[in-house]
Amino acid sequence: MTPPLQILRMTLRLAAVLACTTVSCLAAASVSQQISPAEINVGEQTIVTLNITNGSVNDIQLPAVDGLQVVGSQSSTNIIFSNGTLSRSMTLAFAVTASRPGTFTIPAFDIHTEEGEVLHVKAMKLLVDGNGTAPATNNAAVATTPAPMPNAAANPAFNPNGPVVQPPASAAPPPPRPGNNTADTTAATPGVPRDPDGGPAKVFILITPETTDAYVGQSVRMRIDFYIRMEVQAEQNSLPTIKGSDFLMNAFMTRGRISQLMLENQPYLCETWGTAIAAPKSGDFPLSMERDTYWVKSITGGSIFDPFGGFFNRHANLAHQPVSSNLLTMHIHALPDEGRPAHFTGAIGHFDVTGSAHPSSVAVGEPVILDFSVAGEGNFDYVRCPVLAEDPAWKQYVASSKVNYRDEGHMDGVKSFEQSIVPKKNGELPLPAASFSYFDPTAKQYVTVPIPLPVITVTGSPTPIASTAPEADNDSTSVAATTPTSEFLPNRLDAGSLRTSLIPVYRQTWFWAVQSGMLVLPLLGGLLFLMRARITPDDGSAERAQRQHSMQQEEDAMAAAVRRDDAVAFFIAARHAVQLQLGARWRLSPEALTLGEIRARDPQLAEALEPLFIQADEVIYSGQAQPGIDLAQWENRVRTELLQPQPA
Amino acid sequence: MNFLSHPWRFLAQIFLLCTFSFFLLPSSLHAADPQLEAANRAYAYGGYDESAKLFQQIITTRGYSAPLCFNLANADARAGHLGDAILNYERARYLAPADRDIDHNLQLARKQAGLQPNSYRWWQIALRSIDWTVWLGMLSAGLFLIFLALVGTAYASALAAATKIPERLLKNIFRAIFFAGIPLCLLLGYIELSTVGFNNRIEGVIIASKEATLYRSPFDSSDSVGTIPEGELVTVEDRHNDYLRIEGRDYHFGWIAQKDIAPIIAGSFDAK
Repeated sequence: MTPPLQILRMTLRLAAVLACTTVSCLAAASVSQQISPAEINVGEQTIVTLNITNGSVNDIQLPAVDGLQVVGSQSSTNIIFSNGTLSRSMTLAFAVTASRPGTFTIPAFDIHTEEGEVLHVKAMKLLVDGNGTAPATNNAAVATTPAPMPNAAANPAFNPNGPVVQPPASAAPPPPRPGNNTADTTAATPGVPRDPDGGPAKVFILITPETTDAYVGQSVRMRIDFYIRMEVQAEQNSLPTIKGSDFLMNAFMTRGRISQLMLENQPYLCETWGTAIAAPKSGDFPLSMERDTYWVKSITGGSIFDPFGGFFNRHANLAHQPVSSNLLTMHIHALPDEGRPAHFTGAIGHFDVTGSAHPSSVAVGEPVILDFSVAGEGNFDYVRCPVLAEDPAWKQYVASSKVNYRDEGHMDGVKSFEQSIVPKKNGELPLPAASFSYFDPTAKQYVTVPIPLPVITVTGSPTPIASTAPEADNDSTSVAATTPTSEFLPNRLDAGSLRTSLIPVYRQTWFWAVQSGMLVLPLLGGLLFLMRARITPDDGSAERAQRQHSMQQEEDAMAAAVRRDDAVAFFIAARHAVQLQLGARWRLSPEALTLGEIRARDPQLAEALEPLFIQADEVIYSGQAQPGIDLAQWENRVRTELLQPQPA
Repeated sequence: MNFLSHPWRFLAQIFLLCTFSFFLLPSSLHAADPQLEAANRAYAYGGYDESAKLFQQIITTRGYSAPLCFNLANADARAGHLGDAILNYERARYLAPADRDIDHNLQLARKQAGLQPNSYRWWQIALRSIDWTVWLGMLSAGLFLIFLALVGTAYASALAAATKIPERLLKNIFRAIFFAGIPLCLLLGYIELSTVGFNNRIEGVIIASKEATLYRSPFDSSDSVGTIPEGELVTVEDRHNDYLRIEGRDYHFGWIAQKDIAPIIAGSFDAK
């Protein structure tokens, strides 16, 4: 066994131990029961199955019933870790045979779990036929009469109860039941094939059809269980297939449901599929499946002297061979000819049919949509749209359909049909009579279900004639808005502009290549713009730099004049500095800024600057300043009041 | 006529002659189209199958056009091939989305097939009527103008000196072009991508007689999940070998054999 398998096995055993000791005290125990089939012949077996969830029991015996014998039993435990919750279910199966015909009742009884809970098992009925001709069905509650048909009185021509036709008696020996398929089966574990050493087989497949008696085309639900002992478990790369070509099988999931269980104290991995089979012709046919199976034959490598060899050097030698399932005989009966409805399409099962129509009022020539729904259990591939009776007042169109399956085997589902039907005349028109026919395998009769449909109010002229195209009102949701005239408009006489392909331009590579190329143009333009801006000097910035340089020079000159106490130089520099600043603000030449110019633009500022300009004029024209002038005070005033940045 | 003495009059007469010839040419062309005449003649005399065959030959040898697809669809419809008729009406409508005659005959064929109307709304017509080569020209022109605006701004001084146009005026013009061109191109690009996304679905028409079977998976042994009637318009989502995954109305998904469906845009299934 490979190291991962060892670890997996240990983990599973640990999980089983933990589950046995902890799970059952975490959740309440419950029991479900089943007797399958509920109707057998004398000498045949039925299986009574008890499924106990979250509880464990040691020994259970079915109550003794006169005429019934328990010929074998089997128990298995399934531990499931799902959604963070660990649960355990224990399944007990009893193989029961009857020694005489009659109706038997296995009385109700209680099961006492090891955890101290009491579970109640209800009474189960078993019908045993003495002549060996009753078809075996797996329904515990066998319907003996067809379900009442809705509105049966609405259509007097319809016979809802139809003729009851029994399938022919099977002359073949009783079909083998799932669980007792091989000669090696022991009483202790019915259904499980044995190895030569007497233990349960390491790998085996069990198929369990719902019934072994069916009609041609009838879908029979079937369960496929693939068991492989944990110690030989290997990855599989195939699915079970039916041997031969006598049956058709619905497709099933690539990977079945995986569970682990204990059989005779051996851990097994079980892969389970649900599907349905159908036979295309009548007769007795063997039913068996096989799967191309891999299992671990031996483990090589590793050494007792190498403590790590067991983990790192061992590898599994796989065996590879088809493994067959139990062999069953299916008795396929032809559908009876008697009472077969004219529109029977092969649907077999139990169906409920509903129908509706919309809108309830239309104009002549406008479609009414009929919605039919066929829900139930059966062979949906053969379920066709309910049939409408021929009615000269209506024109019928082909229906569309869709199926939604509600189970894994694709037997339980809803098939919906949508059919258009167009009135040819006006008035209060009843829709054509609709019906759906199928064969009920339980009641063994054909059933035709009438489907009530409403009366439609049809308005307008019975023969709408128009010679031109209708005015376009392109609301596609409105049927009436696009009512076409009854005639096709004539051919065009010219060929028009031809094009060799209908592929639109935008699916051509060149269309996007051209646009990508054109997108480069603005980028290129932007690049040129940036390069040009970097190369070409910015006149404004040079001017600003020059102005700042001049300002700095004038301020330095002012400071030097103060130090030298040179009033002439100070006032010349101060006035020029102010002119530079105002010139920059008003985008004028500094020399052009006289006091009059400043007054024209900003009288308040002119009033503040007037003393400075007057002093400057005086010292410039007279060549000397008034005695007692405090140049430091003037410098401070010029710097703080006159050379501060002014609001624009 | 003395060309040297009256050159303008001579040129005007040449222009008139050319214009006259231009308008005469198409009528003389279709009048001399024996294939088209033969197909229309077969149609007029009730040989609808023959007419459809001839129209199909014209399309195969010369190419598609809305009138040819329309005529082929008419012949198919008269011959009772409703699936093919609806397919070719859809092709004609694809080529001429605003043509009311095509829509009229298409809706009539759909009605005969028991299908719901599917006329385009005004905005669908607008989106499907876009001429993508013209669109490409507009977008390219917008991008080129942006390029010119950027280059012109960079060389505004030299341009102003060469053209005696004030530099400030030139820069303002280029700036206006740039700031108008950017949103215009973005808008055109947005509409283009949205419209391509809207129109880029791969559609097909069911051409199987009566109905086509929908399968759960793309294999011969797959279960059936329903049927779709002949002539129904579906969207193709995926492909696996000879099966196409389609979406019908009401999110009705399934796989369908390729032989049961034909693409409106011939060859578009190959891209899947």
